[in-house]
Amino acid sequence: MATPVSSQALRADDASVSEARSAFSAAAAPLLAGGRVRGIGFKDVTVAYGGLVVLASLTLDVRPGEIVALIGPSGSGKTTALRAVAGFVRPTRGRITIGDRDVTDVAPYARNIGMVVQNYALFPHMRAEENVAFGLRARGVSHAVVRERVPECLRLVGMEAYAKRFPRELSGGQQQRVAIARALAIRPQVLLLDEPLSALDAQIRRSMLDELAKLHRDLPSLTVLYVTHDQTEALTLADHIGIMRDGKLVAFGASRTLYRHPPNRFSAEFLGRANLLPVTSLEPKAGGLAQVRFGEAVLAATNPHGLPQGSQCLLCVRPHDLRLREGEGTHNILAGIVESVQWQGDLHAIALNVQGHKLRLTCAPLGAPPEAGTPLALAFDPHDVTLVPETPPEKPGG
Amino acid sequence: MADLAVTSSPGSVRLPPGIWAVPPLLVLGALFFYPLSLILRQALFGDEGAFSLAHFGEVVGSRLFLDGLYHTLVIAVSATAGCLLLGFVLSLVIAFVPFPGAKLVGRLIDTFIALPTFLVALAFTFIYGSSGLLNESLMRLLDLSLPPVDFLYSQWGVILSEITVYTPFVMRPLLAAFSLVEASQIEVASSLGAKPMRIVRQIILPAALPALIAGGSLCLLLTVNEFGIVLFIGAKDVITLPLLIYDKAIQEFDYTTACIIAVVNVALSLGLYSLYRVAVAHLAGSRAGLV
Amino acid sequence: MLVWSKAGRVLAWVTAALLFALIYGVPIGVIALASFSGQWNDVLPSHLTLAHYINAMRGDSAEQTQVSIITGFAASAAALICGSWAALALRNLMRLPRRVLDVIFFVPSAVPSVSVGLALLVAFSQPPVLLNGTRAIVLIAHFVLISAFTYGNVAAGLARLPPEYEQVAESLGARPFYRLRRVILPLVAPYLIAAFSLSFALSMGELGATVMIYPPGWVTLPVGIFSLSDRGAIFDASALTMILALSTLLVLVGLSRISSRAAVR
Repeated sequence: MATPVSSQALRADDASVSEARSAFSAAAAPLLAGGRVRGIGFKDVTVAYGGLVVLASLTLDVRPGEIVALIGPSGSGKTTALRAVAGFVRPTRGRITIGDRDVTDVAPYARNIGMVVQNYALFPHMRAEENVAFGLRARGVSHAVVRERVPECLRLVGMEAYAKRFPRELSGGQQQRVAIARALAIRPQVLLLDEPLSALDAQIRRSMLDELAKLHRDLPSLTVLYVTHDQTEALTLADHIGIMRDGKLVAFGASRTLYRHPPNRFSAEFLGRANLLPVTSLEPKAGGLAQVRFGEAVLAATNPHGLPQGSQCLLCVRPHDLRLREGEGTHNILAGIVESVQWQGDLHAIALNVQGHKLRLTCAPLGAPPEAGTPLALAFDPHDVTLVPETPPEKPGG
Repeated sequence: MADLAVTSSPGSVRLPPGIWAVPPLLVLGALFFYPLSLILRQALFGDEGAFSLAHFGEVVGSRLFLDGLYHTLVIAVSATAGCLLLGFVLSLVIAFVPFPGAKLVGRLIDTFIALPTFLVALAFTFIYGSSGLLNESLMRLLDLSLPPVDFLYSQWGVILSEITVYTPFVMRPLLAAFSLVEASQIEVASSLGAKPMRIVRQIILPAALPALIAGGSLCLLLTVNEFGIVLFIGAKDVITLPLLIYDKAIQEFDYTTACIIAVVNVALSLGLYSLYRVAVAHLAGSRAGLV
Repeated sequence: MLVWSKAGRVLAWVTAALLFALIYGVPIGVIALASFSGQWNDVLPSHLTLAHYINAMRGDSAEQTQVSIITGFAASAAALICGSWAALALRNLMRLPRRVLDVIFFVPSAVPSVSVGLALLVAFSQPPVLLNGTRAIVLIAHFVLISAFTYGNVAAGLARLPPEYEQVAESLGARPFYRLRRVILPLVAPYLIAAFSLSFALSMGELGATVMIYPPGWVTLPVGIFSLSDRGAIFDASALTMILALSTLLVLVGLSRISSRAAVR
């Protein structure tokens, strides 16, 4: 039932692949001294319980020093993939490598992995510093090393003042920092983050996101696999994003590329709620553009996936890429009837009916917003919109 | 990183995870299942060692055994019904008509579970016995020559004692279930004009049903197995299966007959226990906080 | 809040309080009173005395208290080890074998205690192992009867332990025994203590199996209380019951103190 999907086939245009990681920053140098930079490899990894396939033939490479985010709705297999790297889920088929070491049959405690989970799982009977020291003590590291490294890790996450506190005396965000320090203390080769921010409220989540970005700037050689259902987290942090659905990797690519040129309908909708209009592609134009027919209108769009002439496909238009038409331009115009106008403080959200299709548009607050029921014409830059192949509709419940 | 990396020794044999369950299983097997199997052997083979169902049939068909079975069942069912009713009412008040000290009462109930069952039977002889508190008071008040209250040495005495002892076993899961009923549900229902009885019927009772069934089947099991209360009350006409086993084995040294009765008793208990497990599993009673 | 009117609430409380007093207060009160009574031929005892407690403090009764406490501690400790071991061993098993073994470990709690006593009597009065008439058989009976409860308590505690704790510990490099010692056992400590308390209380009050198998010279409190009340010495029996109840409660309260301190940490 599961067709193997190779990440290479799904990799969107990879022009802007992350540059080679530069030298360690000063702050992190001691933490990673002697550490070799390693990536994570999934090769045809399948996980099934009974007959239920929860992860179908995942092949994916997380390059050394890179942050890869796996996103997808719940039940899409993203957490299973992460837990397979940690060793808590045994693949039914396939191999997992860390660096050039095959860890598929290695016990979790011997994998040298840092893991941070959604509810932090700080040991409630230990102080923050004891939590951070846990991994070191479990390995029988000398007291001198423990004494040196625990404060170092707490400092890295800004928690050195809270070393003596018990977890219950810390806020959610503080617990999360300690959890990260605990994971980093063992100098892991890779860091696994399983929805690390989803238990925090919106404001703290935002600042923790900044912290994580800074942490990765400080530890540029740390390979991170980040599982989330939140596209903002993925887009903010990740170099590459994998989109998962029903146990399969349906798209993989550099974050910016994947956002701008989604390879299929699900990716376009899941990552950044795109407007998708059914079109027929006409002839190719210069500069990677193609002409498409949408009802009566003829529009231009980029065609990164090289869809052939005459094929039925989807026009992917981000709500923020649509503009109200000014003047009398005649190219790339979508005309429709305003259905609703919402003022949301920092922006206006307008819903239109364009030839029976719903189109959403966001723009800076308008002085004189259009009224519902009035006609409205929109324009867009062909370089901002992408042709996406029309995938046949999924069977319900499949 | 070599200083920290834990390496798994590739030569080590991975033991199946079940291996760790073997030592306690052996202990239980030697000390419980093996003796239990010998009861069955004794019941079927007797002292002579020849298989025969004749004695088994004789015992099971005897008046004494049938009376014992009848009393066991009547007492267990009546006591369970009483426990459910009393437990529901008391839990309802503790959970939904909160008063200062309600928590303490909950603790006391937990403690009561830990006390020996015969304490109640002993106490009841002081209260309801022929020269007990109640009878003496009534005789004095009404100027009677004979004790007017005379139920203790019948099955009603046993039933009342068992209700007292086993009601906490119903209350524990019930209080846990009630604590899961959101106060807002009741407030919304009240604001919609529902009267207390209606709220109990339509909101609380459905929420408590799994706990009632689980607690009730546990009660049934424990009352069928109860021995101390029946022994202490010592009513001549109230002989239950456990008491019958005790009489046969200890007073008459008739082990074969005792074993035959025990086989039936154990089978009955295991049947009730299965019922309890099924009830708990099906009604998600695990959430109701049962042991 | 189910009853909103003041009068209704008061009515509910008064009813409940009366029921409580009648069902639980009066029996305990009566036993307590009886344990102090010199003579009780009227509605209330004619005079109070400490004689029954003095009787209980010496001779057979004192010995029985000691026997019960020793048996309770020994059987509970054995059951705690065996039950915890079983609960820990079952944790990592697959669903089906786990459920089957779970039922097996619970079965002793379902079998009537008199039948357990009879079974042990039959089994250990014949070769290969002769234990009839020894103290060991009493310990075994208590162990068997309470092992299911310790197992159940510890298993419940383990089930409530989020799996993440152990998994994070494992990812940090902790081997199985280290995880058990540093993470799992400290986290389920309150359940272990609760399991021990419950076992101890059950052992202290055990009558059905003990009365079938106790050897002369190893008489537990409940058996002693029964023979006193059977002989008509019900005031002495009451005093001994009070001692049984109080010593049980004392151990329970003491252990729950430790347990709550463990939980706070």
